[in-house]
Amino acid sequence: MIKTFSYPLSQLFRRGLSVALVAGFLSASGQDEAPLQIDLDNFPGEIVEKVVVPIPAEIFAVLDKLGEPNWGSGIKLPSGEVSANDRSLLALTFGGLVAEGFIAVQAKDAEEIQKIGREVLALSNALGLAVAVRPHSLSIIEAAGDKDWSRVRDELDSTQQTVRETMEKLRDDELSNLVSLGGWLRGTNVVTVFISDSFSEDKAELLNQPGLIIHFREVLEKMEGPSSKTPAMRAILVGLARLESIIGSLETISEEDVRQLRDITRVMLEEFYYEKSDSAADKAGN
Amino acid sequence: MTRYFNTFTQRFTALLVVFFLAGGGIAYSFVNEAISMAFEAATPYVEQGFEVREDTWSGEVEPGKPLLVRHQLFRGNEYWFWAGTSWPGATVKVDIFDSEGQSVKLEGFVKPPPKKDQEFSEGSYAGVRTLPGKTATYFVRVIVEFDPEAAAKDAKLQGFNPAVDGVGEFTGTVDWGLAYGYR
Repeated sequence: MIKTFSYPLSQLFRRGLSVALVAGFLSASGQDEAPLQIDLDNFPGEIVEKVVVPIPAEIFAVLDKLGEPNWGSGIKLPSGEVSANDRSLLALTFGGLVAEGFIAVQAKDAEEIQKIGREVLALSNALGLAVAVRPHSLSIIEAAGDKDWSRVRDELDSTQQTVRETMEKLRDDELSNLVSLGGWLRGTNVVTVFISDSFSEDKAELLNQPGLIIHFREVLEKMEGPSSKTPAMRAILVGLARLESIIGSLETISEEDVRQLRDITRVMLEEFYYEKSDSAADKAGN
Repeated sequence: MTRYFNTFTQRFTALLVVFFLAGGGIAYSFVNEAISMAFEAATPYVEQGFEVREDTWSGEVEPGKPLLVRHQLFRGNEYWFWAGTSWPGATVKVDIFDSEGQSVKLEGFVKPPPKKDQEFSEGSYAGVRTLPGKTATYFVRVIVEFDPEAAAKDAKLQGFNPAVDGVGEFTGTVDWGLAYGYR
C-alpha cells in the first residue's frame, strides 16, 4: 500500500541528498566497489534497447505525496465505439483502459474498478486475447470487491504485461507498444488535468519525460502496414511531436505549458478513446 | 566448461515442458530464472511497501561486459532495482547513475558477496536503492561476473554434480534479469 501524506518534494530531496552524501562517503571509504561516475558517452558495454514504460500509478504516487487530488473526478471511461477491425486503435484503447483502472484505484472506487475490469475483458475479446486476460479481469473484480487496492494495482500491471507478452509472442510488437502508449497517454492526460487545477513546479516536473516521448514517436515512425497510415495514427504522431517540442526544450515546465500538454494529450486521446470535441482541438491549436 | 546443476528436478521439469511444447505447438511462457532471482531479491521490500513492476529487462550477456538500461524515474518516489542471474557460480552487480553519469546509489547489496569468490552459488542477485534528485532518465548498470574455471573448481570442492554432457555447458554468455519497485 502506498502511504499518502503531504510532504514538500524539496524537503524529500534534501533528505535524499543527505543520505546520498553519507552513501558517497561510505563508497569513497572502500566499503563499496561502485564507481562514483561513469562515462555515458563512451560506455564500454551494451546499451539495452528495451524501454520499460512506467505505469501511471508511479506518477500518481508522487502526486498523492504532494497533496491528494480528487481522483474520483479524474475517472472518465471511453464513450466512443472502437472499430473492431482496427487492432491498433483497440490496443491503444486497451492501454488507456488499464490506466483508467489505476485512476479508479487511487479514487478507491470499487464499483468503477469492477466496471473497468469487465470492459478490459470485453476489449481483450475483441483483440482475441480473452483467454489470457480473463483470469486477470476476474482478479481485478474480486480484489476491488475486497478493497485490496494494492492487489488491484498489481493485477492491472499484470493484465497489461500479459497482453503485451501475448502480442509479442504473436510477433505483434507494434501492438504491444501501442498498449503502452495508450496507457501512458491516458495517465499523462489525467496528471496534466490535476496539475492545471492546482499548479506547482514540483508537480509540473513530473511531466519531464522527453525520453519516453521520443521512444513513442520512434515506435510510431517504425510502424508498418495499413494501420500506420490511418488519420488517427498520423494525428497521434503529430501530437507526440508537439509534446516533444514543449517538453524537450524546457528546463522547467510552466503553468501554460501544462495547459498545452493537457489539451494536446486530450486531442490525441480523442483519436481512439474519447469522442471528438471541437473545444479541445481548438485549445490544442489544431 | 560444464555448468553444474544442483536443482536437477527443477531443470528436468523445464526440459520436459520444452519437449511437450515443441511437440504440441502450444505457446506458453517459461519462467525466466534470472528474473526469478531478481524477484527473490525484491521479496523483503514488498513488505516495506514497494510496488514491484511486472515489466522487466532480461537477456544473455558475456561475463564482465557491462549492460546499461535507461529508465524514467520520478522525483518524490523511492526506487529499488534488483538484478539477478541464475548461472551457477556467477555474481551479478547493479548500480545506478544520473544523466551526467554520477552515481545516485544510496545503498546496495550483492549476494553472494563479490569478495568471497570461493563461495559457489546457484546464482546471484543484487540490489541498489535511490531517491531521484529530479524527474528524468536514469541509467542502471548491470554486470555479471563469471569465471568458468574457478566456478568449476569451487563447485567440485563443494560437491555439486556436473550437468549431463552437452546440456547447460557454458557457451560464452550468462543470463541476466532486472526488475524494479517504487514507493
